[in-house]
This record gives sequence, structure tokens and C-alpha cells, in this order.
Amino acid sequence: MSSLPVKIEVQGKWIAAKLALDAEGMKSSDNTLAVQYKSIVDLEAKGSVLSIVIKGQKDPIRIASVAKVLSIVKRQILASCSAYRLSTFFMSPAVRGGVFVKDANWEKGGIAVLVSGIWFFSKDHQICVPMDDVASIEMTKREVQGKNIDVIKIDHIEESDVVTSLVLCPITTLQVLYNFLKESTKGMDMAGNELDPQSAQVAMLVYSGMDTASIENMLNVSQRDVDHIYDVLIKQGLAEVVVTRREVKLTTKGVRYISDATKV
Amino acid sequence: MGKILIVDDTLFMRTLLKNILFSGGHTIVGEAENGEDAIAKYQELKPDLVTMDVVMPKKNGIEALQGIREIDPNAKVVMCTAVGQEQMVKLAVKSGAKGYIVKPFQAPKVLEEVKNVLGA
Repeated sequence: MSSLPVKIEVQGKWIAAKLALDAEGMKSSDNTLAVQYKSIVDLEAKGSVLSIVIKGQKDPIRIASVAKVLSIVKRQILASCSAYRLSTFFMSPAVRGGVFVKDANWEKGGIAVLVSGIWFFSKDHQICVPMDDVASIEMTKREVQGKNIDVIKIDHIEESDVVTSLVLCPITTLQVLYNFLKESTKGMDMAGNELDPQSAQVAMLVYSGMDTASIENMLNVSQRDVDHIYDVLIKQGLAEVVVTRREVKLTTKGVRYISDATKV
Repeated sequence: MGKILIVDDTLFMRTLLKNILFSGGHTIVGEAENGEDAIAKYQELKPDLVTMDVVMPKKNGIEALQGIREIDPNAKVVMCTAVGQEQMVKLAVKSGAKGYIVKPFQAPKVLEEVKNVLGA
């Protein structure tokens, strides 16, 4: 049984404690925390804080510690909690921002689908893809050891990057996992014919990081046209406003200031 | 910063790449819209790097990559494919591609990859 230094949030205060992990659950040295892994239905990690949601309890249990300790706790929870879980190989990230990640390798581990996210976990890594950040899930093929093999491709947002992760397991379980993941994220599905060709081009340019002025130049359209297309994208829930730029012109006082400032 | 030749059969993608690479301080020395044109322009312009679409008329991107590598074994070519054509990665790498980009792509990552390949 390992005993790990953590801080546990108790009534808004962080209390230092030792956390003991055994095969069935975890328990703190001061008895403020005793949890069976099977009762855990969700797990979230933000920085150095783990939020653990117990079935039937509204407020999560929050544990803070250093990355190495949290990694051990996460791995133990993911391997035993109440979740859709199966053994897989995964590669995450495989592609970032459209560029292949050069040192990406298949890792042997598991996938656990919890309420708020899809977790990949192996001996060395635990990677969470929050459900809200899943952009697409599809079955595709990849060459693995010289053979074309079915894999699940998950596109997700990580900070501002669009990242692709791949999951590989036997075809029987892969199809079940695919159906489960599609069902978990079906709120994001679209028919694919919501945009006219020009709006789709604008969406593609926004994806690539082009600003409004570049988009106007590239498509040879007016600012008013681009604004209209932005409205369509926003209305469809495909885009959100991050910056409202103002255009100004100088007053007479402003012109006088500039004229004075440039006098020799 | 490098002199770059952009090869893609669609004007939209060439314009997009041109904008991204130009914003990163690179010089676009030329554009080609098929594999044959790409080989001819490579010989003529001697760019530091080529971005090469895979599916193109006349000669495809892999054939053009091989043609360019015959002229210059040290040529730096970054392949660029659409989603679903990632199966070509291994063949492209085997043929001497130095990098691989999948459409759609994000400008900062493309610039990072181009910088890495130019510096390699």
C-alpha cells in the first residue's frame, strides 16, 4: 500500500494529509477521506488539483498534490472507477494543428469514458480529452506494423490547438467503443450542409488562423460580407466572438495634434 | 526564413499557404499546380523548401517528390494532404519527405514545422 502526500479540501480549506491507496479504494491518514474506486463516476484534472465525483454526491472531492503523486492517484482511479473502460493502444497526440507529431508512438494502456471526459491511461501517462472539447470522432484506417488497421480518430481542442488522438483495439470492441463515444458526443453532430461554399471557405480560413483583413483579401469580399458570414457561423454555434475591433477616424483636434507633432 | 515553392492544384489552398508562410517572414518564390510543373519550377527557382500537395493532376505529389529528389537529394519537401490520405505518410517519408501536414491546418503549427525542416 502506498502512502502519498496530498492536500484535501475540507469545507473550503486545504488540509495536509497522507493518502493511502489500496486495491479497493483510498483513505486519508486523518480519516477526512475514504473512497471506494467503484463509487467514483467522474474525474477531472486541472493543474495540480484533482476533482473526484462520487455517485450520489453533488460536490466533488478535491485533492491537490505534485504531478507525480496525482499521476499515481489518477492511474489507480482510472483503472478501477465506475466507467466504460477497455484495454487499448492509443497515440495522443498523433497530429497537432495539422502537423504530424514526429515522436508520437502507440502506447499500451486503457481508455476510460467518464461523464466529463475521455481518459487515456498507461503506465506513464494519463491524458484527458474533455467531452466539451471533442470536435469529431470517426472510424478510419492506419498503417500499423505494415497492415491497414481500423482505428478510432478523435479530434479535440487542446488550448487553441486542434489535436488528433488515435485509439486502437480489436475490431469487435472498437465498434462498441466508437458507438459509445458517438453517443456521448452526439450533441455536436451536424448535417454538413449548414453552410454555403463561401461560408465554408471563411470557416476554413478562421480555422487556419487568418484574421478578418486577410480573409477579406484572400476571398476578395467586403468587410460587410465577412461580417454577415461571421453572423451565420455564430448563429450556427460554429464560432464565437473573441475580439470586437473598432475603426476610428481623427477629429479636427486629432488632425491638428498630428500636424503639430510633425512640424520640424 | 526561407525561399518557398508552393505546390497545390487548388488556388484556395495555395493562397492560404502563401498567406501563412508570408506572415511567418518567408519568401514565396513560386507556385505550381501539378507535379510536372513542380519539378520544372524546382529546377528553375531552387527554393529552400517545397510544400507539396499529394493528389494532383499529371504527376502526383509523391512522384513529384521523387523527381525533385533525383535533381537534388537534399531537397526539403513538406507533404500536404487532405484528411483521409494519411496512409500516404509512410510512402512520402520513404520517398524523402522531411515533414507532413494534414489539411485543415493551423498557421502557427505549419510555421513551426517549416522552421524545423528549414533548420534541419
